Amino acid sequence: MTRIWRKLKSNKAKKTLAAENAIQVEGSLYESLDENLNKLQSIYDECSDVIFRHFFISGKEKALLIYIEGMTNIEEIDNNVLSPLMQESEVLINDVKTMMEKKVPVSNIKEMKTFFDCVQEISVGNPVIIINGEKTGFSLGLSKWEKRSVEEASAEPVVRGPREGFVETILVNTSMLRKKIKSPVLKMHSMQIGRYTKTKVVIAFMEGIADKTLIEEVKNRLNRIEIDGVWESGMIEEFIEDNPYSPFPQVLATERPDVVTSNLLEGRVAILVDGTPFSIVVPTTIYSLLQSSEDYYARFLIGTAIRWLRYVFLVISLLLPSLYVAVITYHHEMVPTTLLISMAASHEQIPFPALVEALIMEITFEALREAGVRLPKQVGAAVSIVGALVIGDAAVSAGIVSAPMVMVVAITGIASFTIPRYSAAIAIRMLRFPMILLSGTLGLLGIMLGVITIVIHLCTLRSFGVPYLSPMAPTKLRDMKDVLIRAPWWKLNTRPHLTGEYNKYRQSSGQKPGPTKGDEK
Amino acid sequence: MNTISLKRAVNLMLTFSICLLTLFLTGCWDRVEINDLALVMATGLDKANDNNIELSVQLAIPKAMGGGQGMVGGHGGDKPTIVEKATGKTIFEAMSRLQEKVSRRIFWGHNEVIIIGEKLAREGIQRHIDFFTRHPSPRERSFVFVAKGKAIDTLKVIPDLERSSAEITRELANFKIGMSVTLKELVQMLIGNTRAAALPWIEVEREPENKMGLRVNGTAVFKKDKMVGRINDKVTRGVLWLRNEIKLSAVTFEPKGAEGQISFNLLRSHTELIPKIENGKWKITAKVVTEDDVVENETKLNLMNPKIVKEIEKQLEQEIDDRILMTVKLVQEEMEADIFGFADAFYRHYPDQWSKVKDQWDEKFPEVEVDIKSNAYIRRPGMSTSPQGIPENEVKGK
Repeated sequence: MTRIWRKLKSNKAKKTLAAENAIQVEGSLYESLDENLNKLQSIYDECSDVIFRHFFISGKEKALLIYIEGMTNIEEIDNNVLSPLMQESEVLINDVKTMMEKKVPVSNIKEMKTFFDCVQEISVGNPVIIINGEKTGFSLGLSKWEKRSVEEASAEPVVRGPREGFVETILVNTSMLRKKIKSPVLKMHSMQIGRYTKTKVVIAFMEGIADKTLIEEVKNRLNRIEIDGVWESGMIEEFIEDNPYSPFPQVLATERPDVVTSNLLEGRVAILVDGTPFSIVVPTTIYSLLQSSEDYYARFLIGTAIRWLRYVFLVISLLLPSLYVAVITYHHEMVPTTLLISMAASHEQIPFPALVEALIMEITFEALREAGVRLPKQVGAAVSIVGALVIGDAAVSAGIVSAPMVMVVAITGIASFTIPRYSAAIAIRMLRFPMILLSGTLGLLGIMLGVITIVIHLCTLRSFGVPYLSPMAPTKLRDMKDVLIRAPWWKLNTRPHLTGEYNKYRQSSGQKPGPTKGDEK
Repeated sequence: MNTISLKRAVNLMLTFSICLLTLFLTGCWDRVEINDLALVMATGLDKANDNNIELSVQLAIPKAMGGGQGMVGGHGGDKPTIVEKATGKTIFEAMSRLQEKVSRRIFWGHNEVIIIGEKLAREGIQRHIDFFTRHPSPRERSFVFVAKGKAIDTLKVIPDLERSSAEITRELANFKIGMSVTLKELVQMLIGNTRAAALPWIEVEREPENKMGLRVNGTAVFKKDKMVGRINDKVTRGVLWLRNEIKLSAVTFEPKGAEGQISFNLLRSHTELIPKIENGKWKITAKVVTEDDVVENETKLNLMNPKIVKEIEKQLEQEIDDRILMTVKLVQEEMEADIFGFADAFYRHYPDQWSKVKDQWDEKFPEVEVDIKSNAYIRRPGMSTSPQGIPENEVKGK
């Protein structure tokens, strides 16, 4: 036993891999072009996509152009860089800086002194020019790569609301935010994460609305991350969570710019990661995971009703199968007589106990759902046909499961799809299985035990210091306007307490519309 | 620091998983699958030889009873219920004997009706009631009936309209046409001040031929826990008026000076018992306030005329008074059992005097003077105003 202990300890001992394998690129540029060329060629050894192009400036001075194929706008280089520079000219301008200013019609030109800078610029696709006899190189902002066009957010569709969703390119994403919030108060703090991938990560927040300590905390947690590569925000999410072992997501992942915008205005902080359409919003609460952006675009009465529908179905998706199992195996007296008799009738030839029956059906349903997500679209239709047979009529007439159980599983499935955030829905769906086991062993008592455990766990959760159940626990009556109901927009005067207290008022009060308002008589 | 917290975390996990695993040690000991249950729909209690009791139960056959997909084979000929019986010294002993015959666990949780045979009822029911209140599964809200003849005969009835005789009795009790008494109410009656109880009386009806049905036909009156007699349907209505339990009532009479009958349908009614002791004379005033609709008018009277309505209201009051008084007379003189709850009314208003006569209440009860003061209101003349099918000029009281 002790041996296992020690082994565990030694394995878990923290290993610092500070830039152990990262290639060291150091030193300033040399004066001689050949030396620079040698160094760069050794850095980019066996990189067939890096192009070295020699040319003469005005037919006299030797120069070198380096760029990565496919990440650079070659047409622009040909027309606006090479052709003016290579043009024969009698007068040679001695000062390279002035020469670049006079001859190269490119808006974004940066000077570089070190190899590190060079490599950085080349990596992001900017072509670099190094001239013989000069210790300064120039990078030209002419990067250009293939990117997906802005499309509808496929994971969070709405009926009414903006259709655009984030794309994989972070510059497009930040521009979409900037387009929505046209104020310099929207700050975008940029940083790089990933030893090799050097992924660009942007922390977006509203200065003067977001709490400064929160911004600091986000920056700190992101700076702490030390990883070789990042290509999805989910990886960052796991590094910055408060409680890593919880099944519940403690950040809000969204691919909708309007969701990010509204959260920014409530004093939260968004983290955008290059290479993924999903951005992260922190801190979050369980209630914001149960809200859809459409709640705010529909009429408020309907928004409220839909929100309550979701709360009800949240409970159903967590508890319905376990309640059914508990009642059918332990608490027969709780069912109305007539219903019990028809349940007994349909159960008459089922070989399995209700617990096993429920597990079979639930697992099959989960498998079907997973298969439906993973399969190529062309095969998708086959899955739904087979699925309808498996958890439908065929299973009942084969006498493997009873008809009420099929109903229960189907209702539960639909219920779990009403939760608008996939990550929250899947947490609830996962918790369903321990609940079924508990109900199958201890009946309703077991369900209560399970529910109490889950509630206690939710109470202990925090997301960047904000209690997960706020404003319900700790109770803040003022914030119930956006939890129990969706108050009309002219009543949503204050920002949420825990994230918006820094700048409390969203709008002035007394904006309820009516015929007496205005100058009409 | 790091290792310590790791150790703690592992310890916590271990403790937690041990706690979790203990849950499964119970091993689902009281798990009963729904298809291993024999659902008791109704229970019958009859007297057997040698002071024994005969327990009969009506068990539901889900295959035949429940609809839906589970049904196999040809239905129609299948009986939805079966009746099994066994005898024993106590009900539980009889039930254990019964279990020997029934392949599924007998489950009392859905027992809706308890039917007591007449013979057993006359001998006393108290000692048999105990099982149903002490055992955890039977419901205290099941209805109790007294059957004419043997209780098992009512259970054996396979009705045409409902699925089982248990359902008929339950529905009849819910209608509250006659008395409807649950087990809990019965126990309360037995321990109450009145020392009397009343249970609905149920009979097997074989009219018309080859049809089987049940009928609630009057009330069995109990003194202490022994049945002393039965009152008929009409008298039962009076009991219901006095007990403030009347829900459905149809009153029909012929108004003075008119040809034909008028029928009234009861909307709601409230009865208040006001006790009074004057000069050693015990007196009860029953204040009855009823509201009625006219549902049938055979006469030529115009019921839109307030004067006529007032007149009819008075006659209606008289009619109700007569009905109640008839009941009071019968119960007071023949049964001498206080099934109206007069004892409670006196106990509440005159606790001192009550405690003096407490033990002689049986003798005192027939001497109590009863006065009925009813107020009837006719709320609506129905969907038509004037008498139908009569020329305008023949209508009285235009």
